[in-house]
Amino acid sequence: MKFLIALKNTKTESKNILEIGCKIAEGFSADLTICFVGKKSKALIEGDVNLARQSLAEWNIYHPGLEVLDWAFNILKEKGFAPDTEFDVQNLVEDKGRIRMVLPKTTDYQIRLVLREGELLSELNKEVKHGEFDIAILGAPKRKRMIHKIAQFLDTSIFFVKNFKPSWEYKILLCVDDSRATKRAVILSTRISKQFNAEVIALTVSKTSFFGKGYRNAHSWAERYLKRVGIPFNSKLLNGNPVDAFVQEAGEDHIIIMGKNKGNELIKFAFGSKPIHTAQKANCPVLMVN
Amino acid sequence: MISFSNEIVRNILFWVQEKRWLLIIALMGFVLYQLPYPDGISNAGYRTLILSIIVISLIITEPVPLPAVALLIAVLEVAFHIAPAAEVAKTYMNDSVFFIMGSLMMAVAIVHQGLDTRLALGIIRLTGNKVKNIVFGFTCISALLSSFIGEHTVVAMMLPVGLSLVRNCGKQKPIQNLTALILFSIAYGSTVGSIGTPSGGARNAIMLEYWRTITESGITLTYFQWIIMAYPMVIIGMLSAAFLLQLAFKPEFTRMDTAIRRLKIQVAHKGKITGNEFLTILIFIIVFLCWIFLNERYGLGIIAIGGAFLYMATGLVEWKQVSRNTNWGVILLFASVISLGVQMKNTGTALWIGNSLMSQFSPLIDQFTVIPYILNIFLTTLMSNLMSSSGTVAVLGPITLSMGGEPAYMGMTTAISSAFGYFSVIAAPACMIIYSSGLVKMTDFLKAGWRMAIMSTITLLLVYKFYWPLVIGFTNFK
Repeated sequence: MKFLIALKNTKTESKNILEIGCKIAEGFSADLTICFVGKKSKALIEGDVNLARQSLAEWNIYHPGLEVLDWAFNILKEKGFAPDTEFDVQNLVEDKGRIRMVLPKTTDYQIRLVLREGELLSELNKEVKHGEFDIAILGAPKRKRMIHKIAQFLDTSIFFVKNFKPSWEYKILLCVDDSRATKRAVILSTRISKQFNAEVIALTVSKTSFFGKGYRNAHSWAERYLKRVGIPFNSKLLNGNPVDAFVQEAGEDHIIIMGKNKGNELIKFAFGSKPIHTAQKANCPVLMVN
Repeated sequence: MISFSNEIVRNILFWVQEKRWLLIIALMGFVLYQLPYPDGISNAGYRTLILSIIVISLIITEPVPLPAVALLIAVLEVAFHIAPAAEVAKTYMNDSVFFIMGSLMMAVAIVHQGLDTRLALGIIRLTGNKVKNIVFGFTCISALLSSFIGEHTVVAMMLPVGLSLVRNCGKQKPIQNLTALILFSIAYGSTVGSIGTPSGGARNAIMLEYWRTITESGITLTYFQWIIMAYPMVIIGMLSAAFLLQLAFKPEFTRMDTAIRRLKIQVAHKGKITGNEFLTILIFIIVFLCWIFLNERYGLGIIAIGGAFLYMATGLVEWKQVSRNTNWGVILLFASVISLGVQMKNTGTALWIGNSLMSQFSPLIDQFTVIPYILNIFLTTLMSNLMSSSGTVAVLGPITLSMGGEPAYMGMTTAISSAFGYFSVIAAPACMIIYSSGLVKMTDFLKAGWRMAIMSTITLLLVYKFYWPLVIGFTNFK
């Protein structure tokens, strides 16, 4: 599997994103691509900025994004993910509108470091298309509309790392419904649960007191699957607004895992969807499975 | 089948949201084109106005690359029947475009010689270890140098020195204010200085071209005359900046002994001045002297191009380096915007906008002649914080020259106040770099910017009111 981890800076939030990303990647033996998307200069001053950057490089002062990648590389090295080599800017290559560091594969994981400049969504989309990633792991943007856009337009599973505390013991809140991605969400949740040594709560919420056939089938399939793979789980069927129920049930100490809605894209663009609203409202990490 | 069509819909939606500004601008242009044109403006003038609105919107929002905007201007000037193709082609190339091209190429040559380390040593020797003196030194040297060799060149040479100094301070204690102080002294210093001579920035050269082609009397100003008009602003600006920045950011230390010692070690290996470095400085001095003494005969642009030729001919810089590091797209854009400016004058658009703007203030203008200048400063400052200094002069120049004040003073006011982009990171390259370094915050720009903006505006108005009338005879401006 291939995971993409998007970092913002060298602050605690990015460290947490890296932490959770590594933990999940370990469970899947996944290759990791660490990507930093920096702010692009206005085109009118871009040439001047580039000239200054070249001059700065001669003083060993590199693009701030490279410093973030250097920091991330050292953390990955400590965790045994990255090869025991130095972060050397001589190994940078410009490739398809981005800067990439060439690293040898000396551990079980292939690590890639990528620097991009531009709008976050646009650049992540290009990277996802280029790398065909299975999961993109990133911090939840502050603007709700941005969460909406990322969730809709990034064509992969998305893990929004929100309010993550590495020292906490997390449980998995598996949101089950009749959408096609639910099965994949269930499968993924078992592996993540093993990795976090966490109990799974399979939750199905119906707006009315009646649970339709699709919901019932999906829920019982999830229960059977969890039982089969030997994951400790709790099962819940609730009535009410699904988004509110998911958010309330999850609180801060759960990782929400749910399928990405495959409904009409136009409606989703205008009004959002259950997973999008959940990602916007939740106070904990949310994984939307594609 | 459903998922396939959903994917297409998603791709279309993504494209729409990526290109939303392009679509909005195209729609706006179409609607404006369909509307009846207002009184007092010709049909061609109204179309030029629409084109100007489209261009400004495209430059601010950047939905397409800048060179594409430059091409669009040429296409629409002809398609809108604003000017015939041959005339459009003619207005695309002039001495100012040569000047911008030559200056950018010379900047590449100068920056690649590694003169920044010498500069660092020189500054340290001058200022010593006291923070107050270092800030004063950084601001003044950035200002003085940028007025001659251009803001972009100074930024490329001074920022490494400033950033190294900040890094050398160590991490025992947070030094957020000291960091902001050092970095802003370079950023604002180079901005303040860039108005001092025509070679300080592309915008000055653009204003020279507008004076020549747009004003009725065809105002011309030599390199030296510009210095006489603008340099008091540089002197007052740099001294005030050094003072105001220390008010905005109270440094955590008063001395930087360790940082300076480390910086000295860092640059000590350079030894004596090399032949290449000497030649680089010599060529620039020759170019500078030619700008002062020969610009009426040859034009600033041809001299700048000559300088670039000398740097390449002497092997100080290779064509590959020049070609790779010169922003040709920006040169093309400036050429096209100057062409649009000329058409704004020819079709009466600039005059119409100027009159329309000033008619709102006509009762006030009768009493206070300073009103057009205040409005000019306000508009230019606002635009430079939205779309960069040079772009502002290029798009606003024809309008401010037609706003009713004395064109010579109005032009100078526009060129100078385009450097007041203190509030945003996009106005100047230095601001962008110090912001992207993560060492200063957006709020720091506001914290220092409002003081700088008030100081600069008051100084400019005082210079306009009392200094320019004194020197106007001496400069033989008109």
